[in-house]
Amino acid sequence: MKKKWVRMIAIALVGAISMSLSACGNSTTKNNGTSADGSKKAKLTFQIWDTFQQKGMEDLAKAYNEKHPNVTIDVQTVNWDEYWTKLEASANSNSLPDIFWMHTNEFSRYADAGLLADMTDLYKEDEVDYYNKHFAKGLVDNVTYDGKLYGVPKDYDTIALMYNKDIFDQAGVKYPDSTWTWETLKTAADTIHKKTGNFGFLAPLDDQQGYYNLIYQAGGHLINEDKTASGFNEEGTKKGLSEWISWQLDHDFSPKQAAFAENDFTEIFMSGKAGMCFIGSWMMSNFYNNYKDINWDFAILPKCDNPVKGEGRATIYNGLSYATPAKGKNVEAAKDFIKFMGSEEGMKIASKSGCAIPAYEGTENAWFEQYAGKNVKVFVEMMEYGVQFPYTKSKAEWGDKVTASILEIYKGNKTVEEVSKELQTLVDGCIAEE
Amino acid sequence: MNTKLKKKKQKKNLIAYIMIAPTMIGLVILNIIPFFETIRMSFYKSGSFGKWTFCGIDNYIKMFSSSGFWRSTWNTTYFVILTVPIGVFISLVLAVFLNAKIKGRTIFRAIYFLPMVVAPTAVAMVWKWMYNSEYGIINNFLRSIGISNTINWITNSKTALLACAIVAIWSAIGYDAILLLSGIQSISKSYYEAAKIDGASGIKQFFHITIPMVSPTLFFVIIMRAMTSLKMFDIIYMMIEERNPAIRSTETILMLFYKESFVNNNQGYGSAIVIWAFLIIGVVTLVQFIGQKKWVNYET
Repeated sequence: MKKKWVRMIAIALVGAISMSLSACGNSTTKNNGTSADGSKKAKLTFQIWDTFQQKGMEDLAKAYNEKHPNVTIDVQTVNWDEYWTKLEASANSNSLPDIFWMHTNEFSRYADAGLLADMTDLYKEDEVDYYNKHFAKGLVDNVTYDGKLYGVPKDYDTIALMYNKDIFDQAGVKYPDSTWTWETLKTAADTIHKKTGNFGFLAPLDDQQGYYNLIYQAGGHLINEDKTASGFNEEGTKKGLSEWISWQLDHDFSPKQAAFAENDFTEIFMSGKAGMCFIGSWMMSNFYNNYKDINWDFAILPKCDNPVKGEGRATIYNGLSYATPAKGKNVEAAKDFIKFMGSEEGMKIASKSGCAIPAYEGTENAWFEQYAGKNVKVFVEMMEYGVQFPYTKSKAEWGDKVTASILEIYKGNKTVEEVSKELQTLVDGCIAEE
Repeated sequence: MNTKLKKKKQKKNLIAYIMIAPTMIGLVILNIIPFFETIRMSFYKSGSFGKWTFCGIDNYIKMFSSSGFWRSTWNTTYFVILTVPIGVFISLVLAVFLNAKIKGRTIFRAIYFLPMVVAPTAVAMVWKWMYNSEYGIINNFLRSIGISNTINWITNSKTALLACAIVAIWSAIGYDAILLLSGIQSISKSYYEAAKIDGASGIKQFFHITIPMVSPTLFFVIIMRAMTSLKMFDIIYMMIEERNPAIRSTETILMLFYKESFVNNNQGYGSAIVIWAFLIIGVVTLVQFIGQKKWVNYET
């Protein structure tokens, strides 16, 4: 009798464990059957990486839910650092979130693997040529792969010069304006440092909010236009890169890399210890709401005095997009929600909560209004000579390696010349394997 | 043996197998299959989203000819040298004190055990702030006692790994001390009484009674600590970020594995690295098991 008991318990245990194991394999999203009115009830997951935009995304979800009570959308924020690791893992296990943000660094890789749903005809019934009519060409290009669109442009961002008015007043330096060049910036930074003891300019090792801008201003490029070769050996590229590095290494007005590793440059600026830095427009919501006691404003980026070619003006822009997996369980519902987010109404809702500059042309005003008193218009003005944040299909592979190599210059182990040569070979190698 | 008895024995075995099945199934699915899968993966080159191509021992050739790999192996070794002997020694001394009859002994035991309860990432974040060269409490304290030159604890390649080792020791001593305490408490009082009559001092008692008698537990603690240190990832990963000038002198084998597998999306190469980590841990543990015969005393 007793043995029978033991055996039953054992079998029950085995059963329970194997059941719980098989449950692990299930995807996180499920259709909850059909609701009373016959339409499908769906619970969608929406994965993003920016905490400061979570509210905007939740507002969108709420607005959509009011129109479509059957569809509830759960916004989940994952840190940028873990976002891509997590997304790739869920792509491999076929459990991608129903809607997620896409970045140009990774877009072509996902599109190439056929993981993203085709959105080319999303607005076909409403308006012919919707995308080209309402979005800048560069932003549409960012979601285009092999002639098809695999996402809806969400927003764009550019880089501007941020300065602390109080520190400028204290040092008696004129505020930055459109006449500024690299030389003016350095002189001003020096004066601020000498007169106030604060840092004049913050020049950390940063790509998008740093050396990328100078490389294009100097007339260089990281990747050529048809994305077949890198341009690290170009004179302009080397000029821009070494200029940016020299702002930290050859001048006293910037903290050194060791300090930036402990305190992010934005933290140093917002603690009122620095006169200037380059800043991306996506930081606005955070700054505006959390740092009211610092008197900061913006100007356009200073231009290169003697570029190798071109006018000496550039700012790096980049656009995010909304995407949904090609083989998702809720493709139709997800697509419809994305369609809503890509509409004029959706874009306005998102920008009202201070998210990034909306991609839909003409809705920027809603974004400007959020930042009354700050000259945020410069972010949009600079689009005139904006340069797309450089990427190729293998950007995920070479992006971090480029940063790691450049770090060696900061440590004094290598020269710009040596690293440029190395990077040319490295990135060309990655592109060749695409 | 008659058939009836044989049958009975078989039945008994069957029940035993069923009883261990839950653990075995878990072990096979979660540990053993992934282990062999990892070995297999180390012979493949990984492309995006599960596109794999066989590449023989290319990953291992690449690994052994990479300077970054050897540097991370040395970093790991150095980290073990920094943490294991000092950490275990402090734990042992602490255990002896926690065994003494002092007021509030239970409270002290709880306090020393606390770091074990806190999530390692939280520990790392707090220490990162304490180490901050400008605003950190450590440098502030040093300044207040007159040492005015700023020490870049976690950004100077000479001190960064040491700084991480201090955090690792701090988080581990509580747990190790509790383990050792349980070992010490099982030592018969009569040894100490005999030693006292013979006039042995406290320090002599510690080296000649406590250490030999607690050696089985001590051995266990050393093995576990060495394994954890060889697998060090979380604390350093949290404290030293990608653009920190000291990243190269703090990158351990497992950090390199993480970077290659999940940041650079090169799981094949990452698998080769983690197999190397497995081999090192295996060898170190094996050496300790052989060495223990010389010093571990199993008689009580």
